[in-house]
Amino acid sequence: MRFRSAVVAILVLIAASAAAQENYIIDWDYSGEQFESFVQKAEAAHNIKFFYEKGWINDIVLGDYPGKKVLGEILDSLFAEKDIYWYEFRKGSIILTKSYVIKLAGEAPGGGGKYIPGPDRLPGTGSVVSQGNLVTVIGNPAGRDIPGDVMLSGYITNEDTREPVAGATIYIAGLSSGTISNQYGFYRLIIPKGSHQVRFSFVGMKEKTVELNIFDQGELNIEMKNVLVPLKEAVITAEKDVTVQRFEVGVEKVNVTSFRLMPTSMGESDIVKSILLVPGVNTIGEGSAGFNVRGGSADQNLILLYGAPLYNSNHFFGFFSAVNPDIIRDVTLYKGGIPGRFGGRLSSVLEIVPREGNRREFAGNAGISPVTAHFSVEGPIKKDTLFYLLTGRTTYSDWILRAVENTQLNNSSASFNDLNARIAWDPGRKNKIDLSAYYSHDAFRLNSDTSYKYMNSIVSARWRHYFTSMFFSSLTVNNSYYKYNISSVRVPEEAFSLIHSINSTGLKAEFNLFKGRSEFNFGSELTRYNVVPGNYRPADDSSLVLPNSIQNQRAIEGSVWLEDKYTLTDYLSLNAGLRFSTFFALGPQTVFIYNPESSRSLSSVMDTVSFKRSGIYRKYSGPEIRLSANFRLGDYSSLKLNYNHTRQYLHQLSNTTSIAPTDIWKLSDYYLKPQTGEQFAAGYYRIINRNKVEFSAEIYYKIMENLTDFKGGTNLVMNECVERDLVNVRGKAYGIELLLKKPEGRIRWSAGYTYSRVLLKSTGSFRDEIINSGKWFSASFDRPHDLVLTLNCIWSRRVSLSANYDFSSGRPVTYPVTSYKIGDIIINHYSDRNSYRIPYYSRLDLSVKISGTLKSKKIAQPHWIFSIYNVFGRDNVYSAYFRNVNNTVRGYYLSIFSKPIPSLSFNFDF
Amino acid sequence: MIRLSAIILMFYILSLAEGCTIEFDPEIRTDEELLVVEGMITDQNSVNRIKLSLSTRIGKPVGTNKVTGAVVTITDENGIVTTLRESPAGTYVTDSTVFRGRTGGRYALNVKVNGKSYETGFVEMLPVPPINSLYYEKVVITAARDSNDIDEGARIYVDSYDPSGKCLFFRWDYVETWEYQIPYNVVNKICWVTERSDEILVKNTSLYSQAKVSKFPVLFVSNKSDRLKETYSILVRQYSVSEEEYNFWEKIRNVSQNVGNLYDVTPMSIQGNIRCCDDPEETVLGYFSVSAVTEKRLFIHDTFLGLPVFVTYCATDTLQGVLPDTGLNSDYWVIEDFSDEIPPFWVITTFKECADCSTRGTKVRPPFWEEF
Repeated sequence: MRFRSAVVAILVLIAASAAAQENYIIDWDYSGEQFESFVQKAEAAHNIKFFYEKGWINDIVLGDYPGKKVLGEILDSLFAEKDIYWYEFRKGSIILTKSYVIKLAGEAPGGGGKYIPGPDRLPGTGSVVSQGNLVTVIGNPAGRDIPGDVMLSGYITNEDTREPVAGATIYIAGLSSGTISNQYGFYRLIIPKGSHQVRFSFVGMKEKTVELNIFDQGELNIEMKNVLVPLKEAVITAEKDVTVQRFEVGVEKVNVTSFRLMPTSMGESDIVKSILLVPGVNTIGEGSAGFNVRGGSADQNLILLYGAPLYNSNHFFGFFSAVNPDIIRDVTLYKGGIPGRFGGRLSSVLEIVPREGNRREFAGNAGISPVTAHFSVEGPIKKDTLFYLLTGRTTYSDWILRAVENTQLNNSSASFNDLNARIAWDPGRKNKIDLSAYYSHDAFRLNSDTSYKYMNSIVSARWRHYFTSMFFSSLTVNNSYYKYNISSVRVPEEAFSLIHSINSTGLKAEFNLFKGRSEFNFGSELTRYNVVPGNYRPADDSSLVLPNSIQNQRAIEGSVWLEDKYTLTDYLSLNAGLRFSTFFALGPQTVFIYNPESSRSLSSVMDTVSFKRSGIYRKYSGPEIRLSANFRLGDYSSLKLNYNHTRQYLHQLSNTTSIAPTDIWKLSDYYLKPQTGEQFAAGYYRIINRNKVEFSAEIYYKIMENLTDFKGGTNLVMNECVERDLVNVRGKAYGIELLLKKPEGRIRWSAGYTYSRVLLKSTGSFRDEIINSGKWFSASFDRPHDLVLTLNCIWSRRVSLSANYDFSSGRPVTYPVTSYKIGDIIINHYSDRNSYRIPYYSRLDLSVKISGTLKSKKIAQPHWIFSIYNVFGRDNVYSAYFRNVNNTVRGYYLSIFSKPIPSLSFNFDF
Repeated sequence: MIRLSAIILMFYILSLAEGCTIEFDPEIRTDEELLVVEGMITDQNSVNRIKLSLSTRIGKPVGTNKVTGAVVTITDENGIVTTLRESPAGTYVTDSTVFRGRTGGRYALNVKVNGKSYETGFVEMLPVPPINSLYYEKVVITAARDSNDIDEGARIYVDSYDPSGKCLFFRWDYVETWEYQIPYNVVNKICWVTERSDEILVKNTSLYSQAKVSKFPVLFVSNKSDRLKETYSILVRQYSVSEEEYNFWEKIRNVSQNVGNLYDVTPMSIQGNIRCCDDPEETVLGYFSVSAVTEKRLFIHDTFLGLPVFVTYCATDTLQGVLPDTGLNSDYWVIEDFSDEIPPFWVITTFKECADCSTRGTKVRPPFWEEF
């Protein structure tokens, strides 16, 4: 690839004697030739390469220089009086400079033209150049006297795989200034002119230090190397960097190497389980699908894979995450401070950033655990330009079902598998295109006659275009589809099949513009939804089931946003964003109109209205304001404030404690209003103990409107008029999250404590719409105290140990308070919702990871992970339930995982 | 049904993890006692009963607090008021010679007690088709996978069909009666035991092309109990209920199915059709049902594999020599007497039901009983 338009001129001071200039003979008639074509010919004829800025040579035409056949003489003649100078660096690199001459240290200036008299370096913060040090010069030294700060920017890539490195720290110790690279590996810093020492660091990568002499705005692209055995060289000190510099309050980044070290429950490292270690994130209990962020329900998390929403985030009833960890580069969880480019969910955004695949060589890994097997392969199709990543995972858990002494279970089966494929094309600096696909499938068969099938797929195409290095865009088209099919043939006459699906197609255009002290992000997003709420069919001809189908829901959601990250001074930066979203519910749809004087029910129907196809029958819209401010309180601490406003038009209807396998997605419609949320948050961050330990404290207060709850005992499966059972609920949540963390070194640990509450209140006015007499009550996932401790100990280069401990308050439950009989049927009467709690939860997990070899060039690198889940074997109460025994109602606690569960998994990289 | 299967599946997954269950005291902080009104008006030529009671707190026997001294009346659509008589305490009955429900008739209940008045709206008596068939199938229960110790049981099903299509929501209850024989030489050896259903059996046929109920499982009778040892009989009664009543029962069933996993429906009280006229905020429990009734009886006299549990637990001790006069018939009973042996030999039990069948049932042979 030719490097024609060098923005950066490189001056290298080498103490070693410069290579003698070769006499490159030009044996053709160059007279009247355009300089550019001359260069092409010269490069073709000799093993040389030219470096220059295109603008300098645009109109230069070679003249006739009689007798001159040697390149050097020709260039001397050509550039005479043109204020352009040339220098041959090493052998064959011809570097052109404008306005100044390159000279070697200690060499007397020769030839014509001016050179920049010594010292060549502006005073700055960099160390004194000693012999042998490489100094990178950015910008034209001739501009050294122009006053003002300059901007340094560039891309950080992984040298081995050429993937962008997001979240790397760029730090200038002398200025106490730094930043982190964004999702494209791009970084930008405004610094004074002069010499500086810039340090690039990232977890699991070798730190790189660059001596810099900057005169003007310029670009410095860095390739970082993986640390092959991270255990040895992981001595990167996280300078008061990531947390102190980062803009948003409540943003957590989980790096794949760190979550791979975590203990596992069934020998599988799992992304959702690692998210649960983050303060402010909890779950209702083991085996519950989804997670709760700062008092939000599980359907309020936007899980993005390949830029598309993932509607079902788990396999096997919540025991596994739906996304194979092999494809993950890193995961960012926005608990608050949600950037303007994300919307559509109330509580959080979990952005799964997939790996791009190795651009340079074929690589892969495979592994087995007690229940799953997985593989991944990746590599270039065309080196550095076209490359792929393919991963798959499957279960073979049926042997467990066979092993259990139960006929019904022996006749059952359970399986899941998922597949990820990605192909990326990187033809040059201007464009990058990738195509990604995800497919996951779950199937359970219970006692040979009832089957559950879940299918989840995503296809996505993304085109990133770089107009300039300061202005780039990303255009994404994606489709996400989720479907379940439940069927039963247990009673032939009642054999049925039930289908629910949601299909969304989205188009998103996003632009990033860096201008002065501003960093603009703007764009627009359009999503089209099609939901099949329920389609109930006879399974075969002998079935008497009457086909029934709830009318489909169709809608379009559109949004635009503009956000500016503005650096006011070194000590204050602001982020202001506005997102405006609109939701159109589309016909055809038949809507019942109810008497507003009474609770919605069959008897209060007053009228029926039919809306035609493609007509908009309901529209909701509103602004979403996203604001934050970052005050640096010194070199080691900062204070951040944040306000966040979110809207949600898509709801997962659930009247069970956790998301159930039969829960359906529903769009906002005539009656179901969009959920809205506001969050106020503040955070304090401090680096203590010589940059080794990070401390953060965040507080938040959140208000949520139009949450959904349901009237008692409602069946939501094939419910044609959900609005009749709907109860409108308001929510508030608040909490404080404290975290102490030592993220680097041989011993890494973290201690997080959260105190948080989430309370709900019904807003209805009719008797059956009122819960707990309209008073505030705890949500099912209101667990005030939560303590999470983690420890990673790198014992040796081959062995590492890790442990994590979790303590949390028991979740709230509703108990019956009194019971009565109708005939001989005993019925419980429940009083206030969630006014009791099950006992607290406490669990310790341990795991040991042993790498089989240290040889980096061995064909396959094996490693073993042995882990124990619930080491104490504590009988954590999972739930409380009530049974009638001899005419008396008695309460029981149910515990699962009441014994330590060991597991062993084997993986190898090749 | 869908939810139930999911629960079963979930439960098994949990059981893989060797979960365990322990009883606990919920320590309920409130001590609510609410009025319970329940009863039914049928088209049968018999007394109709309305029962009034107070609900009981968790951990105490249910349904023991009778409410007496109430004035209970039934009004039909023509405005004819029938006053019920209290007999026995807490139960209010109609006079079968005066009052009988009619199909198509509409009835409302009114209760006056403790200075307050409670009422229901008018409820229509819907017609109900006869039960087409009531039958059983043998079911094998394998306790342990590789064991030869197989037990059997009977699953009882009901088929029903309303050609008129008027009855869309069915409800059933049943009365089980079985002959019970103590397998020892005792005086009261043969008795009949009667038990009533305590499960909610409802079916919505509105999703089917015909108002047809096929193979609706009424109950499962295990041979572990002593029901199937001699002769077993079940009387199934079929009711036609309104959509409102069906929803009430279905919701109660949804909530009562909760087994302690995360897919349990959020427990909530289900409001019946009785309200307090004086205080709309007062919670009144129970349901006033109005329904036509049809019924069918099934006898099971068959052999099932496996042994009832009671056979193995009766004998507590054996005694040789002279039978002591004291102590027996208070805590100990003689169940076998080999008095012609020398020395005499007795088998003793501490369980009175092993010595006297009338502790569980009656010695009076039911009038409907058939001999096999």
